[in-house]
Amino acid sequence: MHSAKKITKEDTWRPADLKRYIRVEEHDDYVRRQDVNERRHRGGESKERGRRDLEKEFRGERDKHEEKESARDRRYEDKKDKYVDKRKEASRDRRGDKEQDGRDRERRRDRERTVDINKYSGDYREIRDSRRDREEKHGRERDKEREGDEEKERVRNRERYSEGDRDKRREERDKERRKERDREHRTERRQHEESGELGIERTEKYDREQRDGHRERDRHKDRKEEKTNEKERHERHRDREYKEEHRRHKEEREKRHKERRHHEEKQKHDSESREQRDSKGPVKEVRHHRSDRERAERDKHKERRHREQEDPERKQRERRQRLEEQEPDINPWDRTSSKKTTYMHETNAVETEVAVEEDLGEQEYEDDFEDYEEDFEEIDESENERGNEKETELSQVEESEELTPQRRKEVEAIQRAMEVENERVGTAQSTQSTIREEDDGFERSKAPEKEQSTGSQRGKFIDFVAAKQREVSKKVAMKQKKRSTDLLRLIDLDFSLTFSLLDLPPVNEYDMYIRNFGSANTKQAYVQCNEDNADCDIQTEEIEMCEKWTQHPPERSGVCGDPNLSPETRDKVLSELNLDSQRLTAFLSSASQVMVVLLEEDQAERRSLRKLGTQTEKLSFSEGSLQLNTKLPFLSGRNIHLVHFSQVQRHTMMSVHAPTTQPSAVHLDSCTIICIWNIWEPSRPQKILVYESEIQCCCFSTGKAILVFAGTSVGSVVLWDLREHASNHYRRKIGEDEWTFREPTFSTDAVMADSGHFSAVTSVEVVFSSAAGGLRPEVPLAASEEELSGLSFQLASLDENGVLNFWVVVDLPKANEAGSPTDLGLRPGSKVKLLHSSSLLTVDRGSPRDPTKIGPLQTVHLKFLPTDSNHFFIGTNMGLVNHGTSHGLKAPPKFYRFQDPGTRPVDITAIQFSPFNHNMFLVGCGDGSVRLHGVSYEQPVTEWKSSTAAEPVLLLQWAQTRPTVFCVLDAASTLHIWDLLKDETEPVVTERIAADRVTAMATFGDSGQKNIYSGVALAHESGKLELHYFTRGFTVPFVAEGEKLEIMMTEAL
Amino acid sequence: MEGSDSYLIRPNHQHKFKAAVVKECIRDVVRERLGGVQYDPEAAPDLSRSLADSIKDRVKTNSSCSSPSFPVDVGFDRYKLVVQVVIGEQRGQGVKMSSRCLWDADTDNYAEDVYINDSLFCVVAVFGSYYY
Repeated sequence: MHSAKKITKEDTWRPADLKRYIRVEEHDDYVRRQDVNERRHRGGESKERGRRDLEKEFRGERDKHEEKESARDRRYEDKKDKYVDKRKEASRDRRGDKEQDGRDRERRRDRERTVDINKYSGDYREIRDSRRDREEKHGRERDKEREGDEEKERVRNRERYSEGDRDKRREERDKERRKERDREHRTERRQHEESGELGIERTEKYDREQRDGHRERDRHKDRKEEKTNEKERHERHRDREYKEEHRRHKEEREKRHKERRHHEEKQKHDSESREQRDSKGPVKEVRHHRSDRERAERDKHKERRHREQEDPERKQRERRQRLEEQEPDINPWDRTSSKKTTYMHETNAVETEVAVEEDLGEQEYEDDFEDYEEDFEEIDESENERGNEKETELSQVEESEELTPQRRKEVEAIQRAMEVENERVGTAQSTQSTIREEDDGFERSKAPEKEQSTGSQRGKFIDFVAAKQREVSKKVAMKQKKRSTDLLRLIDLDFSLTFSLLDLPPVNEYDMYIRNFGSANTKQAYVQCNEDNADCDIQTEEIEMCEKWTQHPPERSGVCGDPNLSPETRDKVLSELNLDSQRLTAFLSSASQVMVVLLEEDQAERRSLRKLGTQTEKLSFSEGSLQLNTKLPFLSGRNIHLVHFSQVQRHTMMSVHAPTTQPSAVHLDSCTIICIWNIWEPSRPQKILVYESEIQCCCFSTGKAILVFAGTSVGSVVLWDLREHASNHYRRKIGEDEWTFREPTFSTDAVMADSGHFSAVTSVEVVFSSAAGGLRPEVPLAASEEELSGLSFQLASLDENGVLNFWVVVDLPKANEAGSPTDLGLRPGSKVKLLHSSSLLTVDRGSPRDPTKIGPLQTVHLKFLPTDSNHFFIGTNMGLVNHGTSHGLKAPPKFYRFQDPGTRPVDITAIQFSPFNHNMFLVGCGDGSVRLHGVSYEQPVTEWKSSTAAEPVLLLQWAQTRPTVFCVLDAASTLHIWDLLKDETEPVVTERIAADRVTAMATFGDSGQKNIYSGVALAHESGKLELHYFTRGFTVPFVAEGEKLEIMMTEAL
Repeated sequence: MEGSDSYLIRPNHQHKFKAAVVKECIRDVVRERLGGVQYDPEAAPDLSRSLADSIKDRVKTNSSCSSPSFPVDVGFDRYKLVVQVVIGEQRGQGVKMSSRCLWDADTDNYAEDVYINDSLFCVVAVFGSYYY
């Protein structure tokens, strides 16, 4: 900032007032200063050299001054003396020598001095002491003079600045500018003078410059002398001060040294300089500007110096070093010299302007010192003459007041010039002795702190601190160097291997592509070829083979098998078979029936074909016969006293085998056996029913032949359910075959004592549903069949005493294997039972009508009117057929009697309704007569009295296919076949079977089907059971045959 | 030989520069600072500088990367640390970096770690030089 300011000042520097003060004499300085400025601005040039030049100039300037001085008759005797003294002192014995030969000597001396300084030895101190002794006198004298002068000057200065700080500052600045312009002029002049030399100066080395012209050489010499003077001054100062302040100085220095460590140099400079300015006033401010600038320069120089410590130009460096070393001591001398200069100023002021102007250069030069001195002066004063300070100031003020304004102006001008010079010199000095200035700055920085109290200590103290610092740093450096040398012996440094910190291979194109484009909404799709992984495959399926076998007839384990099957699976198969067994048996039973029927038919056909010839010979009416296999062990020796065909299932036949007296292998002798036959299956009976006592009568249930009812001689009604499984019944193995003998499903034996029969049951008949029969007489049989298949039908049983019982057949929903606790007659596991419905006495017992009768009226036979089950017809032993109704209704013919009036004790052996005309029935009597009755009439239609040759009629049956044909079996085993169409008076065929008596007979046949067959079953005495098929004449009905009976009936009426 | 009574020319074993520990430090710091960072040529110089500073601090305090067996207060005593951080953009170019040191192989060591993400790579090398 200051330097910049300075430059601007230089630019604005040429007003006329400058010329007033600047004369021709000053041109030298001018030139020189300009030169300095020039060099300062020449940044491109080596700074080292610039500084050197500056130094030279500075020195040269001083030389010139000295020359001027000498040329001017050495008006300032004191000064000159002093110079001379100084020279003398510096060069000691060589004091007397001429300036010309001083150069070499001075060099030598410099060297000596540097050595001295570096050593810092006592030697130097001795010298100093001697010098001090020598100088003491001069110093004192000068001090006195100076004190006075200084006071005056200070008064002047203060006077100047008392006018107003600002104004003065401005003035000062102006002055400064003016001075600088002066300087420029001077440097210009100097350029003229030294035009040739300067160029050399600038470019050439110091040594060479020294070899230049006499003047220059002189200048050099002078400069050196000056330097020596300076040194001497330092020394002197030191000499003086040393004694006084030595102790304190040391202490202070240490203290400040410490303090200084905490501060940054530049900061200090700035802040302290400011402080100084405030405290010391404008004069110093100028200097501060300068000093700031100088400091900046100095800093640069310092740096440079540090850098260039190993510069070949030893001398310079040494000198500088020496200066640095001497620095601490310089100030006291400065003060003295400044005092001297102030004195000179005074004289100058008194003398003419010209003289002043001539002197200006010198004054400026002196000012420089004065400037510094002033600082120290004050300090010294404050220290030494603390008490006098005020006094001196006052006196100064007075003195300045005494001066006339004109004079003052002059003085001011001079002062300004001096300041400028100081400034200039300061810069020069800074280059010459940077450290000293630095210390100066430092000192200044410290000054404000202790200005009032310990101002005097400052100078000394600072000097020592700097020295110490230097010393310390040097020591440290040395120490470090030593350390490094020591250590380097111990440590061997070696080059490490080359560490590869990073090896990043370049990305190949594919990766780059993938990185750039692969990630944008796309994905790498993976493809795998795996071409070498070929595989052959054949799609032909292998033929599966396994072994199976079948066996017929099945052996133990089944009909088929697989050798690969394990026993478990085989068992499984078996178990499955078992599981299916019921279905299988169901199937087999039905299928086997069919098979058996077929086989039996086949067999029977062959047999019949074989026997036909004989049979036809035997029985005229028979077209062929079929013998049922009754040659069974348990049937042997039994008489068949009853044969009965189901009305619905016309191929189902039942034969009642009476108990036999002949002992047999089977212990069923006392039992009655009923065999259920299928006429197409003649080889063996389908079912075998067993009852303990003699069975008097029996019948099938209506509808399907699933139930068999029987009335016994002991007065019980029994029932068999043919649906029951064979396993539930007693099975017995007789011979090779196993037979199942079925016990009755339900028996009323001793169960229903009240409501049962007390005499032998002579007849049981199924009562057709009364509603069905009565209301719908035209309903075909099939319909009623279906109705009755629901097992809701009644059974009527008639015993000998004429008690007619009605039973309701109940089909239980569920069988109870354990037996029913309430239905005691029910066989365990069976589910059809009889409930007693009602009882009816059909015979008036105490009838007086037949007192002659031997026995009571016996009811022998029971028939219901097929069209109306409420009407029942009971044959009695009196030759009459009673007609009654179940509900007590009166029916017109009470009985049916003989054609002849009156009754005869003749048993009615048979009552048979015509299957074609339900209003007509046949009655067979024990006297051998046969009657044909109409229902409505008491009188018979016809009566054939002697058709059987008075043989009792055993059985009487209508043919199933022809309405006008009926068969009569008499007791003489003669079979009479009547055909009323052919002959109304006598039977058409009378066949006497004498060889084997026929004990029972029943007609069978089916007219409803295409295959019309009709026949008669004959049970022989021997137990043989033959089925005789009627010839075609007896089988096929004739047209209007049914009307024949009608006609007969009407004719009879 | 005043003042040169004894020189400590070998570090305490505990204080020795442990490359593994330092590497861990580097790794921590770099992962922390550069995770998910995109390369920015403007920011890279500052980033590298600050990274170097933070790594240096981390290694000096040595606290965060110290394992339980490694006391916290033990830093790399008397070690001068030089941290070099290089951050470069990752554009598929090949990069080779290597270093060579003139040092005392007994005491001095270095640790380096490389961090690479999609946009940049960062190489951090910490050289520990023992100060005798």
